Amino acid sequence: MAFFLHPNIVRYNCTCGSLKPISRIYFCRHCLKIRCGYCVCHEADSHYCANCLEILPSSEARLKKNRCAACLDCPSCLNTVSTRSTNITVQNPDDPNKTVTRKAYYLACGFCRWTSRDVGLPDQTVASGGWPEREHAHAARISSLLEHYKVLALRERQERERKKFTPRRSYLHFSDKFGLTAVMARKRAGLPPLGGLGIKDEAGSILELTPSVASEEVDSLPAEIYTKPINLAHVATLSQRLAQPEFQTELVSNLFPAHKHLMIKRSQRCRSCEHNVSKPEYNPGSIKFKIQLAAYYYVPEIRVVTCEPLRIGQECQLIIKLCNPTQHQTAIEFLPLPSAEEDLEERHKEIEEKKEKQAEKKNAEKTSQGRDDVSVLLPSLSLSRQLSVSEDPHPATVKLTGEVILPSSSVLLPPRDDAAEYDDAGDTYHFQDNPKVVVWRKANKAAVKMVVVPQDSATETREVLIGFVMKYTYVNTMASLEQKEPQKVDLKVKVFINVGKTVGSCI
Amino acid sequence: MLPVTFSRVFRMPLYEGIGLTEKQAVVIDIGAAYTKFGFAGESGPRCIIQTEVKCPETKQVKKVLHYSSKEDLYDLLVEFIHNLYFRHLLVSPKDRRVVIVESLLCPTLFRETLAKVLFRHFEVSSVLFVPSHLVSLCTLGVNTAVILDVGYIEAVLIPVFEGVPVLHAWQAQPRAAEAVESSLKALLLSHNNDKEDFPESAIEDIKVRTCFVTSLERALQLETVEPPPDVVYREGGTKIFNIPGKVREAVYEVLFEQDNDQISISTMILDAIIKCPIDMRKPLAENILVMGGTAMAPGFKARLLGELKYLLQQPKYSSRLALKTFKFHKPPAKENYVAWLGGAIFGGTDMISTRSLTKEAYLKHNNVPDWADLSYNCREEDKISL
Repeated sequence: MAFFLHPNIVRYNCTCGSLKPISRIYFCRHCLKIRCGYCVCHEADSHYCANCLEILPSSEARLKKNRCAACLDCPSCLNTVSTRSTNITVQNPDDPNKTVTRKAYYLACGFCRWTSRDVGLPDQTVASGGWPEREHAHAARISSLLEHYKVLALRERQERERKKFTPRRSYLHFSDKFGLTAVMARKRAGLPPLGGLGIKDEAGSILELTPSVASEEVDSLPAEIYTKPINLAHVATLSQRLAQPEFQTELVSNLFPAHKHLMIKRSQRCRSCEHNVSKPEYNPGSIKFKIQLAAYYYVPEIRVVTCEPLRIGQECQLIIKLCNPTQHQTAIEFLPLPSAEEDLEERHKEIEEKKEKQAEKKNAEKTSQGRDDVSVLLPSLSLSRQLSVSEDPHPATVKLTGEVILPSSSVLLPPRDDAAEYDDAGDTYHFQDNPKVVVWRKANKAAVKMVVVPQDSATETREVLIGFVMKYTYVNTMASLEQKEPQKVDLKVKVFINVGKTVGSCI
Repeated sequence: MLPVTFSRVFRMPLYEGIGLTEKQAVVIDIGAAYTKFGFAGESGPRCIIQTEVKCPETKQVKKVLHYSSKEDLYDLLVEFIHNLYFRHLLVSPKDRRVVIVESLLCPTLFRETLAKVLFRHFEVSSVLFVPSHLVSLCTLGVNTAVILDVGYIEAVLIPVFEGVPVLHAWQAQPRAAEAVESSLKALLLSHNNDKEDFPESAIEDIKVRTCFVTSLERALQLETVEPPPDVVYREGGTKIFNIPGKVREAVYEVLFEQDNDQISISTMILDAIIKCPIDMRKPLAENILVMGGTAMAPGFKARLLGELKYLLQQPKYSSRLALKTFKFHKPPAKENYVAWLGGAIFGGTDMISTRSLTKEAYLKHNNVPDWADLSYNCREEDKISL
């Protein structure tokens, strides 16, 4: 689809303001709005290895640091390496005089001819796995640092919480003044020791950390750097070094293969109603979707059929083809683009509506949570619904360079019928079309005539860009609580068409 | 809210909060040339990638920091961070905490736009901005050091004493990778007359693979010493040109040559120490941490130490500084991701829940607290007069 619609001739205006071709936008069937990749919420769905197509659950992927356990990448050219097998002769362990041939496996890159033998990795006796893993040299030090700072941070937090509500405890706190420890005082008063409340011994949890010691010695340059010629083939490039950030080896001879990075399948979710607009099947081998609310299935598609040569200031005929992808009849009407003020008004209206909805929701929540104690117990972050965040609209600036005289009458399009293509009998629909508007019609498609007048502003880029609002009827079949019956609604979308280049001189 | 200082507290927990397993936080260090990112509490970044995006429409590669306006930066960051999450980190950004490792000198526009992108577009649950110089001390376990970060655009130095950055002693000079690369380009062009230009990637590659920082003794008589051997460089597989040994040795000199104001990367350290009170000077000089990708050049630290010792003999400093020794720290990481590692350690602790800017707070005030903003960073008694 992206291929023959690729030159973005016809672009639709998404609700968020960006302009996208129809193959790149979604249509949320729940809020009846157009959404695009920019204004939906992306989520990581399933992790898989692009080489062996194995799916990993997200917890396992996290454990393996998003790397495939089986597949390895070439450290030199970063492509996948393959396992090669050879026969080697080894001494028979039972009889030292005889030799036996055994299979040995090594890694080889088919692209750059790197092999695991280049870096001195011993051959393996099993075909898969078993390659030595390199350990981060400072891992132990870093984990002790982490533990140390964790304790510090925890203490600071406790202190802060303690400061917030310090209950005035009897006069026992004075006892410290007179040489009695708090523990002793409690004992005398017959109270249980503080430890009973889950307080551990303080001294036990302090992790002794040896701070780093600075030294006067630093790594000096090797003396031979001034005399020894370097062979660039032996020095690793920056991309080879950064592919393994923890090691960043400088010499090619120290490059070791790394596990292949995983990939994900993503699902997209509408931000305002939180329904999925796209959800792929988990299996990485499948290219199908469980849910795919692409606009291509719901919004009438527009394509340019032909256009007369465009001359500035002259009326030129443009023929576009409309296609109804839905299972219901639709009526399409063309309206001029609203002015900037009207746009602004509409946006304000939308924002107010949103606010009202939120207020309603809040009220509903309040009434449902009559008991305060429940709401206190529930951690607000994880269990109750998040307050929705609205992103500012992201209007794309469009400079129209042509005027368009739109057809006055609306066009009816019959529902899509997959069998129509094979039906020789022709159309069974009989529409009373205005011949000045509809020039051709077949099944669920119709070609419509309109007039374009390229303006002087087109001289600069020589491209004529027109825009209009397409109003179409959409049958909402989503059953909700309030309405069970399919509902007919009128929807509008702004469409921008790049008609083509002007011809002739510009004078 | 402001993690500019570490306060140390000595009390024990009553209980450990509600034990819901928290999602691993993401730590991002956006540099001018390379972005380091990974998860909090891990020992190394997952990836180090170039800070640039490919425009989906024009297919042009653009550096994120070469933005033209606020809106442009917003779009660039959305594209870039989307790529980070879904190509490299492979997690959903929504309702996940983020730690941003940033310089204390980060422009407000960039900071605010980044927060807006993270909260409004990616709907992260909280953002913790940590100053890179301060958190890199987490990798050492010490509280006092002079931290010199030699990055791509500039070298920034901030001394930290007992966990508090000595802000008035900060130093910043445009003596970093960019200066080295432009000097390398100029030198190469003067030696290869038939060439008109070198692509940036080739220059960077030549710098990383062939050049080094020479010793002070040789640098003082660079014209007379026997130059190191030339290197034949193959560009794009077919074109070959020669990199003279003199160039290999001389490119990093731009960092150490004193300019008209008598400032170089090594005087930055001494000038910063002079600006600090006298009691702080010795501990600072004996705790120097050098980080940033440019500091990984072979011989960089040795030269820096040599320069410091040499400068101390000069009348300008010998009269004002009574220092004898300089000591360098060795962080448990490669220099180019020391700041990231500091952020990962800091973000791996409880600090992330106590010091983060939460989504609720951000949406309420629509503002990011900043040390330079007096409405946040102001003593209580001064606030009344404001």
